Amino acid sequence: MKCLLIAVAAVATLGFPAFAQKIPVVEKQLPNGFRLLLVERHEEPRIAGGWVAHVGSANERPGITGMAHLFEHMMFKGTPTLGTKDAKRDLEIIDEQERVRDQMRAEETLMRAALRRGDVEDITRPEARTPRYKALEEQFKKLVDEQRALLVKNEFDRVYTTAGASKMNAFTTEDMTGYFIEVPSNKLELWCWMESERLLHPVFREFYAERDVVFEERRMRTESTPTGRFQEQFNAMFWDAHPYNWPVLGWPSDIPAITKKQADDFYALYYQPQNITLVLVGDFKPDDAEAMVARYFGRIPKGNQPPPEVLTQEIPSYAEKRYNAEAETNPQLDIVWHAVAAGHRDSYALEVLEQLLNGRTGRLYKGLVLGRQLATDAGAGNQSRKWAGMFEVSAEAKDGVSLDDLERALHEELDRLAREPVPAEELQKVKNNFAAAEYRRLTSTFGILYRLIHAEGVAGWREINEAGPRIQAVAPEDVRRVAAKYLSKENRAVARYTRKAGPGTAGDDDELAGLSPEQKPIARQISSSVKQEKDAAQLRQMLAQMQAKAAQGDPKRQQLAKFIKGVVERRLAELEPKK
Amino acid sequence: MKPLALAVLLAISLPATRPIAAEIPDRPEKLRFPKLAYDPPNPADYRVPLKSGPIAYVVPDRTLPLVTVTVLVRTGAYLDPRGREGIADFAGHLLVRGGTQSRKAEELEERLAFLAAGLSSAVGEESGTVTLNLLSKDLPEGLALLREVLSAPRFQADKLELYRQQTLQSLQQRNDDSSSIHAREVESLAYGTDFWAARQLTGSSIASIAVEDLRAFHRKWFHPANFTVAVSGDFDRGAIVPKLEALFADWPFAGEKPPAIPTDTRMAQPGVYLVNKDVNQGRVSVLLPGLKRDDPDYLAVRVMNDILGGGGFTSRIMNRVRSDEGLAYGASSQFGGGTSFARPFAAGFETKSRTVAYASRIVLDEIQRIAAAPVTDEELNTTKRSLVDSFPDTFSTKGRVAGQFANDEFTGRFEKDPAFWQKLRGRVEAIDKDEVQRVARKYLHPERAVIVVVGQRDEILKGHPDHPAKLGELSGGKVTELPLRDPVTLEPLPSDPPKR
Repeated sequence: MKCLLIAVAAVATLGFPAFAQKIPVVEKQLPNGFRLLLVERHEEPRIAGGWVAHVGSANERPGITGMAHLFEHMMFKGTPTLGTKDAKRDLEIIDEQERVRDQMRAEETLMRAALRRGDVEDITRPEARTPRYKALEEQFKKLVDEQRALLVKNEFDRVYTTAGASKMNAFTTEDMTGYFIEVPSNKLELWCWMESERLLHPVFREFYAERDVVFEERRMRTESTPTGRFQEQFNAMFWDAHPYNWPVLGWPSDIPAITKKQADDFYALYYQPQNITLVLVGDFKPDDAEAMVARYFGRIPKGNQPPPEVLTQEIPSYAEKRYNAEAETNPQLDIVWHAVAAGHRDSYALEVLEQLLNGRTGRLYKGLVLGRQLATDAGAGNQSRKWAGMFEVSAEAKDGVSLDDLERALHEELDRLAREPVPAEELQKVKNNFAAAEYRRLTSTFGILYRLIHAEGVAGWREINEAGPRIQAVAPEDVRRVAAKYLSKENRAVARYTRKAGPGTAGDDDELAGLSPEQKPIARQISSSVKQEKDAAQLRQMLAQMQAKAAQGDPKRQQLAKFIKGVVERRLAELEPKK
Repeated sequence: MKPLALAVLLAISLPATRPIAAEIPDRPEKLRFPKLAYDPPNPADYRVPLKSGPIAYVVPDRTLPLVTVTVLVRTGAYLDPRGREGIADFAGHLLVRGGTQSRKAEELEERLAFLAAGLSSAVGEESGTVTLNLLSKDLPEGLALLREVLSAPRFQADKLELYRQQTLQSLQQRNDDSSSIHAREVESLAYGTDFWAARQLTGSSIASIAVEDLRAFHRKWFHPANFTVAVSGDFDRGAIVPKLEALFADWPFAGEKPPAIPTDTRMAQPGVYLVNKDVNQGRVSVLLPGLKRDDPDYLAVRVMNDILGGGGFTSRIMNRVRSDEGLAYGASSQFGGGTSFARPFAAGFETKSRTVAYASRIVLDEIQRIAAAPVTDEELNTTKRSLVDSFPDTFSTKGRVAGQFANDEFTGRFEKDPAFWQKLRGRVEAIDKDEVQRVARKYLHPERAVIVVVGQRDEILKGHPDHPAKLGELSGGKVTELPLRDPVTLEPLPSDPPKR
């Protein structure tokens, strides 16, 4: 009886149309293959414009990984008329540069052979360059200097900036490359001019300096962050066959080996009109916008062959995989299961499952953080990509809690969802949040553009309006079924991070190594207060007390006592230096 | 030229209707655009001094069934006593997350989640913020909850312990990413370790925070006289104002007016300050004293900095460090402004260890160059046009209109300069090359630079064989190694001896 009342109350509170708010997209097709999406909005005199090339790192292959992302950078380098004072000489220099680079690549082949023989340890260090390589570098640098004298630096950006554009940027994922900007509403024609020009005849000048920029991006995002390298490797372990297994930024050995010829071929194949969707959101009249877009983008010739789909499918997972990393981070767990691609009939129930787990009233926080107090934070994410998908759960262990205990508790929460149907009110809570999000996503012009680009690049833009009703239709049994189906043992990979010892780390140094996980935080806390103690007499008293208790202590505690004794003695030595 | 003659000329040069088959020009300058008139919203149209105390900015927007209420609170971490850092942050977090007198935290969370309502609170350096965002059908209930949270928070003890544990574990991570080491040292060197904004939470400062501290903090500062309010969304102005009056009426306690924010910063001596950290990319900031946002020079400084390093790909530092040399992914500079005290000038980038010195040299050269010679007409034009023509973006949503105006009220800009937004574009247009150079000379003195570097010390000091720059030659030739600090106590740790 009580349950029924709650259910009735729940329905009564939901007094608004749960999925009425569609994004009013007008879809058009240009004769040469471009798709065009238009959303009219007059809240401000601005137009957010962008386009998505349906190519990402999943379209690459070993040897050219990182190519899609490198293109994202190169697309800002200009056109024959934008970016240089002398288009003819500029193109000649690029050819000459390429000839020097071919010789450098031949030398790099020799350097790699030397690396394989063990003659050199690291060919990326400046000292590892051969004399011939250095001479070629000098030759190349002269050409760069000559080209630089003709360059109009970052002119593509300057034209837009001078026109009052903002938010210009681009991104690359496994599935897509997206470009976007916002312009004043009287400058739609400028957007058409700029974007169609760079698609019609891009010039990839400063290719090699930009490659170095990408390396710095890799250092920044992956190599110099606490867990970046490990996440990259864990991802590569998770995907066996699928090209999702290499990083979007590319493997470090591939990025410098990419040739201009490979880049040109890649562009011709994946940047042809039938592989690109244009998106405009904002203050324009759709008919006018369509006419202008057709005039500018209609110039770009249709490609010769359709871009190939990604054929390689992930093989079934036969055994659980485990990855144990020592990193500069608090102990934490990351568990990933193979799940489904975007638009898959089960993706909606998996989205609901994600939200049942998430948030301060979600299963993970209530179960692991508040209830059993094993974690300080926990979250889940369903990532349905274009070609395949994954479901992820992660948690940071509370100090003193073993990762074994945390992992066990996590699985218990998930097993419960795979066994028992979700109570109606809990499911309704999650659906209410999905419904409200349908409105929240409409608050900004730029936000709509961004969502359309992402949706179009994964499952097609229509998903943005079709997912809502499908999520509202998810039943408790659907959630239970997908939890049972996908979150299985053999279908998962588990990453466990423990703290690596090192200078300035919080604990786990050699002294703490012998302590149990429960003792380590206590040891750290005592150590930190002892180090701040200025009264030597206090410390002496502490030592005496410990001595007295040592006789009756159980062996488990002796390790901790020994540690504390050491800390106190060192602090005493600091306070009372020997004469 | 006479206006009539100009009009005739325009009429001749611009066809009244654009022929569809028109030639596509080879350069974007040849495009002609229709005129775009834009008047910013006027704060007076939205300003409502409530009888119950706060000034509110009320901006109706009937396009979506959503309402956002933001309460700015005159308080801040600057009020934390020395050694007790964290009280403001804890009070800010637990105001909403710690329940109310009539509802336990768990009940409050469940209700908010069921309503799909966002209710959050935080206390930052110089202000507190409490924000409610929900569907307009739930507004009465949401306002009642907001009133409870603001006037009668529970500060539930178990939620305090949880947040203490979460915070302690985040402190343990303070040496894991070089960016957090860098941010911490930048604050100490820019402001002096004694200045309130450079003080950090420590294990012992958060260990001593008790429920009573949070209650006392709340009762002192969370009072309508210290509130400024921004409201936007699905309502009629006439209907919302009485609701806001009721929200703040008959406050159960009398608060205090907070003391002025201390402004006695002291930048470190010029030189290079280096923290050793084993990551393959060095993180660098070049610091110089800055100025306040209401300084008469501020707008010219902003234009100058846009050209130097604030304008992304059109700025000099980005062009030289990234595009020319491929030394960094991001390279930029900023003059923070600061509403109560001057935030520093900071130019920064991340580059591989071996090119840290070389890239730093380039940035110092650019700082020197913009003071030594006038900027080009093209550079100045780009920046001015960008500021003027992207201006409508400031008020792109009704939420931003309410938020911006409430912020101006809170920081005193509205009182001091009520037509600030109306006049801004004209003031930008009036800035010329001399003015840009004058402020560059006044504020940019590379010889006074404090350079903060975090990365592999030995590799960084080696430099790069192709580039003669050495770290020791920058900014007066003094390199000071700063110790890494214990992440929880911030006590200095012993340093590794340099490798031969």
